[in-house]
Amino acid sequence: MTDIVSSPRKILPSAATAVRLTIALAALVLLLMMVLGLVLRLAQSAWVDIAPDLFYQIMTAHGAGMVGAAGLAGAAIMWFFLNRYVELRIGVYYLFLAFFLLGVVLIFGGIFSGGFAGAWTFLFPLPAMSGGVWTPGASLAFFIGLLCVGVGFLVFYLDAGVGVVSRYGSLARALGWPQLFAGSQQAAPPPAVVASTVVLIVNTLSIVAGAIILVISAVNLYVPALAIDALLAKNLIYFFGHVFINTTIYMAVIAVYEIIPAYSGRPWKANKIFLAGWTATLLLVLAVYPHHLLQDMVMPAWMLVMGQVLSYVAGIPVIVITAYALLVYLHRSGIRWDLASALLVLGIFGWAAGIIPAVIDGTIAVNKVMHNTLWVPGHFHFYLLLGMVAMSFGFSVWLAQGEKPAQPFIPVQKVVFLGYLIGGLGLVATFLYAGMISVPRRWAVHLPEWVAQDRVGSVFAALAVLATAVIVVNALARFVRAK
Amino acid sequence: MQEAVALITLVLVTLLAIVFLMVLRRASAPAAAGATADPGRYRAPLFWLLVVVGIGVSYASLVEWPYGPGTASSGEPTTVTVTGSIWSWEINPTKLPAGKPIVFAVTSRDVNHGFGIYDPDLKMLTQVQAMPGYVNKVYYSFPRAGTYKIVCLEYCGLGHHVMAADLTVGP
Repeated sequence: MTDIVSSPRKILPSAATAVRLTIALAALVLLLMMVLGLVLRLAQSAWVDIAPDLFYQIMTAHGAGMVGAAGLAGAAIMWFFLNRYVELRIGVYYLFLAFFLLGVVLIFGGIFSGGFAGAWTFLFPLPAMSGGVWTPGASLAFFIGLLCVGVGFLVFYLDAGVGVVSRYGSLARALGWPQLFAGSQQAAPPPAVVASTVVLIVNTLSIVAGAIILVISAVNLYVPALAIDALLAKNLIYFFGHVFINTTIYMAVIAVYEIIPAYSGRPWKANKIFLAGWTATLLLVLAVYPHHLLQDMVMPAWMLVMGQVLSYVAGIPVIVITAYALLVYLHRSGIRWDLASALLVLGIFGWAAGIIPAVIDGTIAVNKVMHNTLWVPGHFHFYLLLGMVAMSFGFSVWLAQGEKPAQPFIPVQKVVFLGYLIGGLGLVATFLYAGMISVPRRWAVHLPEWVAQDRVGSVFAALAVLATAVIVVNALARFVRAK
Repeated sequence: MQEAVALITLVLVTLLAIVFLMVLRRASAPAAAGATADPGRYRAPLFWLLVVVGIGVSYASLVEWPYGPGTASSGEPTTVTVTGSIWSWEINPTKLPAGKPIVFAVTSRDVNHGFGIYDPDLKMLTQVQAMPGYVNKVYYSFPRAGTYKIVCLEYCGLGHHVMAADLTVGP
């Protein structure tokens, strides 16, 4: 039977150009943000002398920039592959990019020109109460910048939603629910469509929540009487932040579903287990965010228990479905290795491995002694640097080498891959070790007792940055040559 | 606690890495004709193993309410009021007895802070958020006398890393 809902089509050259432009921009920003991250580690290592106000500005830029760049890279991947199955409008995509870039300018202007250093989480009411360190105008620029980025993503997801519904009839059909719940024997939508549909649903909700707290926080800068309950604000911010950063991984993993088959010759199909995993993910990613609030015991007790238990449950689709499915898929597959496929597979390992320390930290009793230590950046660098970002670079390399496997996996590329892997693992390990010995996160100056592990971490971070620079510069050079 | 958590993490990540390496080592060699072993046969056992472990850990870690005074402490706890403000702590009283239950009632006058108690060896003992408009309570019983350090664990601006205080715990 001809599978009319799943057959891919080649995307238009103009769309491919837009994606190359986006991924090049995202890769550059990721590299720049990595350099900023390295500067933070060097400062904590007492190897570089940075005043605390600048340190916290860089920290804010590193956080906001990384989340934004991850979102941008994820959007490029999702758009590229969703384009194979549904009609997406390139004008809307460029509108998204325009909003995104405007937002970036405002965010970085607020930080480095206005001195805003309220962290990317902008916990209410810190942006309005800086102790005289930055002005309300700096906070406002940051807020409007984030709103612009959010509006851009909202436009992006709305267009994706229109495209998906036009092609598959409804979001439920695009999620494969007829196959999952109603025994439909028709072929399920392809994995890229299922994952994209989950992303567009949950991230639309998260961006709306983020916009609400951003607008209230912005008004509060100039009308302090118009305030929001600090606990409600925290809930909105962590709901927004948690969902947004997780969807960057969900968008990136689409590259694995779509590219790895070209290396192994085996199709990646959306079977019932796959569909069940993504439906579970849709619900879990929305409900699990209270694990960020386990030290706010004024929260309803059931939400705190839910935060812990659902953290455990949320690990199951990643381990049992995504990672396991990849291993089953690759088992004696005859896959051809090059830098792109190696980075894509590393991305799944980093994602699965990174959730182990994250899930453990979701245990309330553990959280009481490890929350807000460097254990936290330890686990999120694991599933972002070695997970989401690795997948994004894998996509970039694949795109740069002409959207096909490259043969062979040359020694220089193997060295670069190993540098990225060892640098990333070392950085993560030193973060986790620092969490074990109770080093707080987000401190501009570390006590002398903590500096040794900071320095080891800095060396590994430098290695990861160096390897990234080679990957990014090489990919950009190939983009330029191809043009 | 922290060392055990790190060890469990190390073991599990290492196990996952070994499984990946075992599969990837042979991934580039196609399956022999007639090979019948289903590489997906471990999925169901793995799923149920995770479910059983998850239920067990959830029960063990929640059966005693982790935010409560704990069964080890007895007697009426001494209340210590804690107020954070950028960038200092107001704590009353600051001299406390060892071996007695203490409840810290923690709030903030301005932004969010994190009230973290560190022992003399700089190891974190417990923590709670300090929030404007709310009082979070955290119970703790100091096992031994000494000077304990209070630090801020929620980013609160320029002086976040210097927002510290001492608690003196006597016999």
